[in-house]
Amino acid sequence: MQIKIRNGKDFYAGLFFFFVGLVTVFEARDYSVGTARSMGPGYFPILLGYLLLMIGAGAAVRGLWLKGEKIRIASLRPLLMVSGAVLSFAFLLKPCGLILALLALVFVSCLGSREFRLRDTVILYFALTTIATGLFVYALGLPLPLFWSN
Amino acid sequence: MEIFNNMILGFSVVLTPGNLFYCLFGALIGTLIGVLPGVGPAATIALLLPFTFSVPPVTALIMLAGIYYGSQYGGSTTSVLVNIPGESSSVVTCLDGYAMARQGRAGPALAIAAMGSFFAGCVATVIICLLAPTLAELALKFGPAEYFSMMVLGLVGATMLAHGSLLKAIAMILFGLVLGLVGTDVNSGTRRFTFGLSPLFDGIDFVIVVMGLFGLAEIISSLDHMEKKEIVTKKVSGLMPTRADLKASWKAIIRGTVLGSVLGILPGGGALLSSFASYALEKRLADDPSRFGNGAIEGVAGPESANNAGAQTSFIPMLTLGIPTNGVMALMLGAMMIHGIAPGPRVMIEKPELFWGLIVSMWVGNLMLVILNLPLIGIWIRLLTVPYRFLYPAIVMFCCIGVYSLNSSIFDLVMATGFGVVGYILLKLDCEPAPLVLGFILGPMMEVYFRRAMVLSRGDFSVFFTEPISLVMLLAAAILLLMNIAPTIRRKREEVFQE
Repeated sequence: MQIKIRNGKDFYAGLFFFFVGLVTVFEARDYSVGTARSMGPGYFPILLGYLLLMIGAGAAVRGLWLKGEKIRIASLRPLLMVSGAVLSFAFLLKPCGLILALLALVFVSCLGSREFRLRDTVILYFALTTIATGLFVYALGLPLPLFWSN
Repeated sequence: MEIFNNMILGFSVVLTPGNLFYCLFGALIGTLIGVLPGVGPAATIALLLPFTFSVPPVTALIMLAGIYYGSQYGGSTTSVLVNIPGESSSVVTCLDGYAMARQGRAGPALAIAAMGSFFAGCVATVIICLLAPTLAELALKFGPAEYFSMMVLGLVGATMLAHGSLLKAIAMILFGLVLGLVGTDVNSGTRRFTFGLSPLFDGIDFVIVVMGLFGLAEIISSLDHMEKKEIVTKKVSGLMPTRADLKASWKAIIRGTVLGSVLGILPGGGALLSSFASYALEKRLADDPSRFGNGAIEGVAGPESANNAGAQTSFIPMLTLGIPTNGVMALMLGAMMIHGIAPGPRVMIEKPELFWGLIVSMWVGNLMLVILNLPLIGIWIRLLTVPYRFLYPAIVMFCCIGVYSLNSSIFDLVMATGFGVVGYILLKLDCEPAPLVLGFILGPMMEVYFRRAMVLSRGDFSVFFTEPISLVMLLAAAILLLMNIAPTIRRKREEVFQE
């Protein structure tokens, strides 16, 4: 008999939570559980972990039974570009400074939209850099390096 | 008389130039993001949170609260004028508000919405003043068992709002609870779920979780299903409602205020639920329900009053019990903790200036919004024409700088990205982030109270059922759960959400 996933949203959410429960229980295996009267650091997490395992399994099984909407993801572009923008900012900030890190952030995140326009992006970059340096670095005094340091 | 002294104390806190400025600033930012679709109050509060560290806690809270109620005003403006709900709590306002605008009666619709909101805001402020001290006094008598049960009730209530399946909402809460436990256990010093990574030893910063889940994940998902909506702006002419309008709506305003005030206090309540419930109520009570959807002014007056009342009274359980009833309140609670205030009934006693200052600021903020909002409508509408592609890189920037400014840590930014990705996937699977954030905030507290209750009862689990207050709360939680599972009510709920 072939198993068919009728409700992908429930099924995969169930799998995800089951996995979280699994990690929780596995990680908590060495924490002492203690007794109800004097609970160890493992008592509450393991309780939560088992609950997650149960509910995750329940949701996954339900996803096999009940019909539901399909998962619709139009394109992976926004996901990749927005997370890419944050990561490139993260890794450029310390070596290259705010001005260059923002350049990467603005360009990569603008690529996440289907209506990317170079001219607009350049304007936006200059506007945001002005705001960031004026507001965060000078007005609020956040310790952000503007340029690369030696 | 005590209440007057409290109010005077509150006014003395608010009526300083600094606090007034932040109150106005918060309310205006709130209106702005209320107008802009795709940016919600939760995300905005999360974004601005790291930048409030330099001001005193009361000032920070006044501003953050302003964002919440300001967004209610802004959301209704765009609902009426362009049929785009800026906020989920003003979805129902679109139905009759936009219909009125098409009939050339946008002015009265907006004026009634503002008047209703202001009336509701005043009443809700009085309710908070009357109810909060009593509730806090009661809560001071609570033992750990009561607290634990109250948190269970609060979390179960949070599942009411999520419109995916109940099972998934509960799973999100549990996931949040586990995330809340990451870090060093206070009792034993054991490092839990740190995977050997030293930045995790102190736990995951609250700001990182919400920036990822509310900031980044929401941007990604808005970009994913961006539809092009045509914006047709109608001229707003003649703001004043006619005598007939006032006559038709004053009852709806009062009903909406009462309904919203009650629903705001209940777990899972707040602005969203209040506005839906009020619309349903007005439709049911109307002599001619078919008018609804075709420009019935009650359909604007009721929900708009209700969402503002609900937005404000949802502060009651957060301030007096330390229990957030919805996602935004979880953020406010997080903000308090970041500013070094331990939430709970003692806040009112130990920090009366904070408590009463915040409450009075809500009233002052509402007043400022009523006065400022109507003249500013033109500006808000023009802002609507700013395309999202200009907006979201700015939000990404705020997220990044906000997260980095916490600890100057690159690891935090990577973690925020992780939460963004996971949050986006969960959104795609119909798992909403609000229950997770609630669980995350309450996780560590819940464990502490659970342990204490068990120590006091010598390991006897029946303590949760033998203490009367605790029993009542657990029963209420059970009833809420059953109501959610019961198929008829489920269907009703879906109807309301679809309307």
